Amino acid sequence: MKRTYLFPIAFFLPIVALFSQNEIIKDTTKIEKLDEVVVTGQHNPQAVNKSVFEVKVISRKDIERQAGNNLADILNNSLNINISPNTSSGKSGVSLFGLDSQYFKVLIDNIPIINEEGMGNNTDLTLINLDDIERVEIVEGAMGVQYGSNAVSGIINVITKKSAKTDWEIGAYVQEESVGSEYEWFNRGRHIQSLSVGHNFTENIYANVVYTRNDFTGFWDGHFGEKYDRNDGLRGHEWLPKLQQNAKMLLSYSKNDFNIFYRFDYLNENIEEYSELVDLRENGATNTSKPISQDRIFTNERLYHHLNATGSLFKKVNYNISLSYQEQTKDLERYTYIIRENQKENVEEGEYQKRSAFFSRGTFSNLIDSKKVSLQAGYELTNERGSGSAIALAISPGEEKVTQNLDNYDFFASSEITFSERFSVRPGFRVSFSNLFDTQYIGSLSAKQTLNKGWELRAVLGTANRTPNYDELYTEIFHPSHVIIGNRDLLPEKGISTFFHIKKNSSLSDGKIRLKNKVSFNYLALKDRIERLIMEGQSPLTFKYSNIDSYRTIGAFSENEIFFGNFNAQLGASVQGISKVLEARTDGDDYLFNLQLNANLGYTVPKWNTTFSALYKYIGEQQQFVETTNDAGETVLDTEKTAAYSWMDATINKSFFEDTVEITLGMRNLFDVTNIDTSSLNSGAYSGSSTQIPIGYGRSYFLKLAYNLNF
Amino acid sequence: MKPLKKLFSLIVVLLAVSACSSDDNYLTSDPFVVAFETLSENLGDIENSENINLVYSETAENNGAFTISINAENAVYGIDFTTQPAAVDGKIMLQINSGSSTNNFVFNKLNPNLDETTAITFTISNIDYPDSEIRGNTTFSLNSEAATGGSIAPEVGGPNEQFQVYVDLSGRSSVKVQRDGWDLAFHSYDGFRVGINGSIFMAAAELQETNIDNISQADVEDLMTQVAVGTFDPANEAYIDYPDGDINRTAIKEINLDDSQNKVYLVNLGYEVGTETPVPGGVAIAGDARGWRKIRVLRNGDSYVLQYANLNDTSHQEITINKSAGYNATFFSFNTNSVVNVEPEADKWDLNFTVFTNIIDGFGSYAFSDGVLHNRKGDVTAYSVTTDQYNYDDFGASNVIENNFKQDQRVIGDSWRDVMNNEKVLIDTIFYIVKDPNGNIYKLKFTGLLNENGERGFPEFKYKILQ
Repeated sequence: MKRTYLFPIAFFLPIVALFSQNEIIKDTTKIEKLDEVVVTGQHNPQAVNKSVFEVKVISRKDIERQAGNNLADILNNSLNINISPNTSSGKSGVSLFGLDSQYFKVLIDNIPIINEEGMGNNTDLTLINLDDIERVEIVEGAMGVQYGSNAVSGIINVITKKSAKTDWEIGAYVQEESVGSEYEWFNRGRHIQSLSVGHNFTENIYANVVYTRNDFTGFWDGHFGEKYDRNDGLRGHEWLPKLQQNAKMLLSYSKNDFNIFYRFDYLNENIEEYSELVDLRENGATNTSKPISQDRIFTNERLYHHLNATGSLFKKVNYNISLSYQEQTKDLERYTYIIRENQKENVEEGEYQKRSAFFSRGTFSNLIDSKKVSLQAGYELTNERGSGSAIALAISPGEEKVTQNLDNYDFFASSEITFSERFSVRPGFRVSFSNLFDTQYIGSLSAKQTLNKGWELRAVLGTANRTPNYDELYTEIFHPSHVIIGNRDLLPEKGISTFFHIKKNSSLSDGKIRLKNKVSFNYLALKDRIERLIMEGQSPLTFKYSNIDSYRTIGAFSENEIFFGNFNAQLGASVQGISKVLEARTDGDDYLFNLQLNANLGYTVPKWNTTFSALYKYIGEQQQFVETTNDAGETVLDTEKTAAYSWMDATINKSFFEDTVEITLGMRNLFDVTNIDTSSLNSGAYSGSSTQIPIGYGRSYFLKLAYNLNF
Repeated sequence: MKPLKKLFSLIVVLLAVSACSSDDNYLTSDPFVVAFETLSENLGDIENSENINLVYSETAENNGAFTISINAENAVYGIDFTTQPAAVDGKIMLQINSGSSTNNFVFNKLNPNLDETTAITFTISNIDYPDSEIRGNTTFSLNSEAATGGSIAPEVGGPNEQFQVYVDLSGRSSVKVQRDGWDLAFHSYDGFRVGINGSIFMAAAELQETNIDNISQADVEDLMTQVAVGTFDPANEAYIDYPDGDINRTAIKEINLDDSQNKVYLVNLGYEVGTETPVPGGVAIAGDARGWRKIRVLRNGDSYVLQYANLNDTSHQEITINKSAGYNATFFSFNTNSVVNVEPEADKWDLNFTVFTNIIDGFGSYAFSDGVLHNRKGDVTAYSVTTDQYNYDDFGASNVIENNFKQDQRVIGDSWRDVMNNEKVLIDTIFYIVKDPNGNIYKLKFTGLLNENGERGFPEFKYKILQ
């Protein structure tokens, strides 16, 4: 095997040196925009500080600083958000307030983005490419009135770029990244290439196209990949290799206050799963072997169409209407690989999971002609069709696949009542009709009060439901010893959240130092939580999914920013306590607390056109109660602990030739985190065992070389 | 702008170059090998002639040839035996034809009186084929001893594991029977014991009644939820034959000479063999439930008398069942309501490849697939060795520890594979020492669990006599 690791820094240095010799440096000082405009949850786009919701913004500049290619790259340092990579499926999920990605919704331009397991929820963050993205908006807490089902713990709204300042904007970049200490020109590391062209055809018509190729060659970690014929667990990869190709296109027309755009996005992803198990196929008679392995290749294809029109009727009522059709198909090719002969046999190809949806959302605001009261009404309709094959899901034997149609017809209204310049209240309500569940009613209430000296108070009460997933509805696992069955009568889980934010903007020394400080308190609860329950008196032992449990999280967090000349810093801390009721037990629902800290530092040297950044996050020890069996065969509660870890990224970003060339050099995961331990404390049948949760693939280095031509 | 242009073209080149990728080296295959399918055969078992089979390590892609040398003790070529093709100067030449993967020659026994002093050995002495090597089963012996070894792939029937396969190591033979083709085993030994078929998860509970006609389903309704395998209730262990194979621990008590001591039993007939096709690697061993019976067993001289009926019947059937000398038991099936043939003679099998009912400590009885049970009742014993103690290839007769041999028929059991995870795997670090009723000791190691499509129920093992 050829296994050479090229130490990336050594490779990068000469290039940096080469460019440092050019002395064409322009002295520009960029001013941080204070009034960022946000759209998430708003009646009309407006400034962050005017929003009733607390909206966090990750700007294009932040994305560039981290050389983020997809959403998973940039969220690692955000407070309260944990990224959880799944090394065996190649996906990256998000968890917020201890709830996984089923409870969290990802939107692109205000509409949910599809994946094979959900519409908006269950999103694989690595599939959301950021190359044509202007900013990312994050709102924590239940947003069911605004965004419907599954927006329980929060939402991410990815806003794409829809205009250009110059006639032509041409950009190209290559990004070479090591995966831990692994890097090679082709077969190790991560290789990204991207090309984008934007053009203003006329004053009113703008179009852009983007193509990105992201080749993650996997984290090998001592494994030997596909062509390895020993059965010692070292075949394949530690993290699955995957190749993503993404093509996007936008066409937009705007005149006066009428805007219309059509956006298209095609994504193709190939994931290679080379089994670590080698069946040696020993021939005892000839004392020879013919090693084979059962390998699988997954192909994801996503199509996204979005047509959006905004404008005003009778110069008064603002409308915003989106029509979208999306589909994602995950296909599986599985075969027996005859390793030494490099041949595939018994090739089977078929659909693994698929989901398609027609979606439309329309809002009409300024319905009342009043300065004090603004009223917005809207509709949302989703015709969603999902299917999963028997390989993907444990379904009734004999059935080849299950399909499910979920049709939702939702109507919502919200009103913003401005009692004074300083105090406004916003009640909201949504009713949701669907073919699968009873009619759901969801409400929200927020209030905002501004005080003197830059103080802002916000209180946000929101609700949202989570719809049951396939396994919960349709699983059928029959075994002589036990049975697990889905429950088609399940209700959606009901979530409610309350947030209270206290914020202060201040400036010192005649505006030389600006500060933003915020303290927030949150409470989030779920009832009718779906868990597997043992059915009494059944033989064999039968588990059925039921709406039995509950979940609560309570916490406080603070986020602070300081701007001082060319220096800016963000500091945050969060303490969250989680209480779960497990299998309708009466004990084990104590709150277990977790601490998170984050710090982002940025320093710009205008003379050098260079920005230095460091992003740090600490995630404290996490605990949870689990049911285990002790030596006496009794079911007991045990505390499971997941070790604390720190994550840090650092980058240097320098531009040349009037910003046409930009180089970003950086390190991800400075603390070299790979796996963290989870272990139970008490004795039990499985005592002393600890499992490892993959977090990262160790300290890695990247170089991004970008060329931007605007004219 | 010149440097810019250069840079732009550099980026384009980078895009182009890194968009294509290279492929690496391939691994080298094993050499081409011709070997005897088995290592030996008993000369006494051959009446007139016998095919001696040879296998290739892979399908031949070229033509070639190989030579077998003959060495005979107390036998003379041309007088006591011949071969076809004929030997020239004590050597047989065989052609390797492109496209074939096996070969054979014929051994003709001319002298019917060859005794145990005779041993005829065939040895592969030359292979004329590209990249070939002589290895594996390079010799084959015809003598009067027990089989020296080879490979056996018992046909348990894939992921439904439809069959129980009885394997005789010394005779290199297998007998397969339908797993749900029998229900009760009436033992042939001195005591009077009746076993139930654990391979289909049967269970039996003693009732307090001696008149079989007095029992109806209403009397046993509560008990029926408990008399089953896999209820996760440790108390259900009382309703199965103890999985170690001890004849004194059957679910049905020893049959008493005094009829009033022989109670009626509630019998759960378990499950039919499954018929579904599970995902590759999975098993579907249980099909429809087979229902219930009530039974009562009595003694009549040296025979058993079986009374049986459906739960709500007010009358019953009766059949006399005789012990079978030379066999472990006489088998009875409720499918046919008659005695059926199941096991080979007690000294003609060593291992039974079968689904079986086992006990998980603290959770009661549980169904296990891929089981291998040794013939405890036929005096087979066994023990396991891990590869951190000895390598399979290096293990010899001198390494055998007599005190380690165990009676528990689950010594092999399910310990040879791991199916707890999605990936179903052989355990590569264990092999077994098995002593048959005639005192032959074999080492035995599993080489297969899945077929080439990754489907379960295709076990294979290699074994070799230790002497």
